Amino acid sequence: MYRKNLFGKIIIFIIIFLALFLTLVPLAWITLSSFKVEADQFSIPPKWFPERLTLDNYVTFFSNAELLKSLFNSVITTVLSTFIALLLGVPAAYALARFDWKHSNKISFMILLARMTPPIVMVLPFFMIARYLNISNTYIPIIVALSFFSVPFAVWMMRGFFQEIPNSIEEAAMIDGCTRLQALKKVILPLSMPGLAATSILCALISWNEFLFALVLTGKDTRTLPVLVNMFVSERNIEWGVMSASAIIIVLPMVIFGLLVQNDLVRGLTMGSSK
Amino acid sequence: MKLKEKRVLSYILPALIFIIIIFLIPLVYTIITSFMRWNMLRPDLGIKPIGFRNYIKLFSDSFTYATLFRTLYFVVGSVVLELICGLCIALALDSEFKGWKIVQSILLIPFMIAPIVVGFVWKFILNSDYGPVIHFLREIGFGSFLTEPLLSNPNAVIPILIIADAWQYTPFVTLVLLAGMKAIPREPYEAAFVDGANATQRFFSITLPLLKPSILVAIVIRTLTSLRVFDIVFIMTGGGPGTASETLAFYGYRVAFDQYNIGFSSAINMLTFGIAIIFTIFYMKIIGGGKKHV
Repeated sequence: MYRKNLFGKIIIFIIIFLALFLTLVPLAWITLSSFKVEADQFSIPPKWFPERLTLDNYVTFFSNAELLKSLFNSVITTVLSTFIALLLGVPAAYALARFDWKHSNKISFMILLARMTPPIVMVLPFFMIARYLNISNTYIPIIVALSFFSVPFAVWMMRGFFQEIPNSIEEAAMIDGCTRLQALKKVILPLSMPGLAATSILCALISWNEFLFALVLTGKDTRTLPVLVNMFVSERNIEWGVMSASAIIIVLPMVIFGLLVQNDLVRGLTMGSSK
Repeated sequence: MKLKEKRVLSYILPALIFIIIIFLIPLVYTIITSFMRWNMLRPDLGIKPIGFRNYIKLFSDSFTYATLFRTLYFVVGSVVLELICGLCIALALDSEFKGWKIVQSILLIPFMIAPIVVGFVWKFILNSDYGPVIHFLREIGFGSFLTEPLLSNPNAVIPILIIADAWQYTPFVTLVLLAGMKAIPREPYEAAFVDGANATQRFFSITLPLLKPSILVAIVIRTLTSLRVFDIVFIMTGGGPGTASETLAFYGYRVAFDQYNIGFSSAINMLTFGIAIIFTIFYMKIIGGGKKHV
C-alpha cells in the first residue's frame, strides 16, 4: 500500500517477473509443441522454436474418431452434471439462505463434507454399485458421480449469493401478489444472474477436469478427454505433438470461462469463507 | 419471515435426497465392505464378514505408516511451498502496480487446468531426452546429478510432485490471501506510517496478524485438496519408482483396481475419509459453522 520506495519496487518487480516466468514457461512449451512437426518433437537438444509450424497435430486430433468421441463425452457429461447441480442446488441454496430451519446447520455440514470428501473414498462403491445395477457402460455412473461434487458445490455457492440479496425485495414482490416461487423466478433469479453464471462455470470446471471418477466409471464408449489423454501418455511411444494439442483443447475452454468469473473464484473455492 | 417447515422441505428435499443417496449409501457400503474379506481375485474365499481384521492388518503394517508419511511429506511440502509463494505474489499484487489485474489473470491460468494435463505438462518438460528443463540444467552444470531420469529417482519424485502441485495451486492461495489483504482496513497502515514503521515492521505487526484467518482458510482447504492427490501421481509416476511416490489415495486405488482387494481397499479409504472429516470439522469451526459466512 505504501511501498513506494525504489527497493520495494525492485522486489515487487522480481517477484512478479519470476511468477510470470515460472507460470508461462511450461504453458509456452506445450503450446509451441502442439505446433511442431514430429521431427522437431524429438530433437536433441530440445528446440523451443520450431523452424516449421504445423497444424498437423490438431488435424490429427480432429480426424481421430476416438478423440472426437471423448470430446463429445466430456461435453455431454459436463453439461448434464452442471444442469443437475443447478436444478437441485438452486432451490436448496435459496431455502438455506432464507429460512431458519432447525436442521440447517446439520445439512450445511453434510454438504460441506460431501464436497470435501476425497473422490477415492467414493469411487470404489460407485463402481461396484454401477456394476451391480448393470449400468457400467452408460453415462449414468459418471454423470451421477460428477454431480456428487457439483450439487454440494452449487448449494454452498448459491447460498452465499442469495444471502446478499436483501429480504425486502421478495417481500415487496409478494405484497404485489407474487407467490414465493414466482418471486424467486421473476425477481431473485434475474438479480443473482452473475452468481448463477459463476456457479455454473465453476461446476463445469470441476466436472470437465475430473479424472479419477472418469477413469474408473467410464467405459470404451463413455470415456472423457482426460481419460483418453492419460491412455495416450501411458503407452510406450508418446506422440508428444498430438498430446500437446489435446492438452490445449482440454485447457482452452476452461481457461477462457474461468477467467470470466475470476472475481467469484475465491468465494466459490473457499466454500464461502470470504466475500 | 418464517415459512412453514413443509415449504422449506419442498425446496431442500430434492437436493437432500440426492446427496443422501449418492453420498451416504456409498459411504455405508464402504464401511460395510471394510469389515469384509472380499478379494475379487479369490472368489473361492467368498465374501465374509471378518470383523476388524482389515483394520488390524492396516494399522499393523509398516507400509501403511510409510504411505502416511509420504502423504504427509507431500501435503506439508506443497502447502508450505504454496503458502510462501502465494504470500509473496499476493503482497506484490496488493501494491496494485500498473497492470496488476492482467498479471493476476495470467497467474491464474494453471489453476484452471485439468490436473491430469498439469501432470502431462510436467512429465513432458522434465523428460530426460526431449524436455527443455533437464537440458537446461545440464547446460548450466548440473549434469552429474541427472544421470538417470528424474522421475526414476526415488528421492526426487515427491519433490517433483510438490513442484507440479504448487505450480497448479499457488494461484489459489494467492487469490485467497489477496482477498484477505484487500479486506484489511487502511487505518492501521496509516497510523503505522505516521509512527514511522518501515515496510517490514508493517508487514509483521499489521498485515500478518490480520491475515491470519485467510492464511488458516488457505491451509485447511489446500490440506484437504492435496490429501486427495491422485491425478498427477497417476500420470507422472504411477506411484513409482517402486512405491516411492505412492500416496494414501493412490494406495487405496491400487489395492482396489490392481489387486481387486475390495475389503482392504475400503479400510484404506476409510482412513483417508477419517482424516478428511477431521479437517472438515476444523474448517467448519474456522468459518463459524457456515452460518454467518458473508
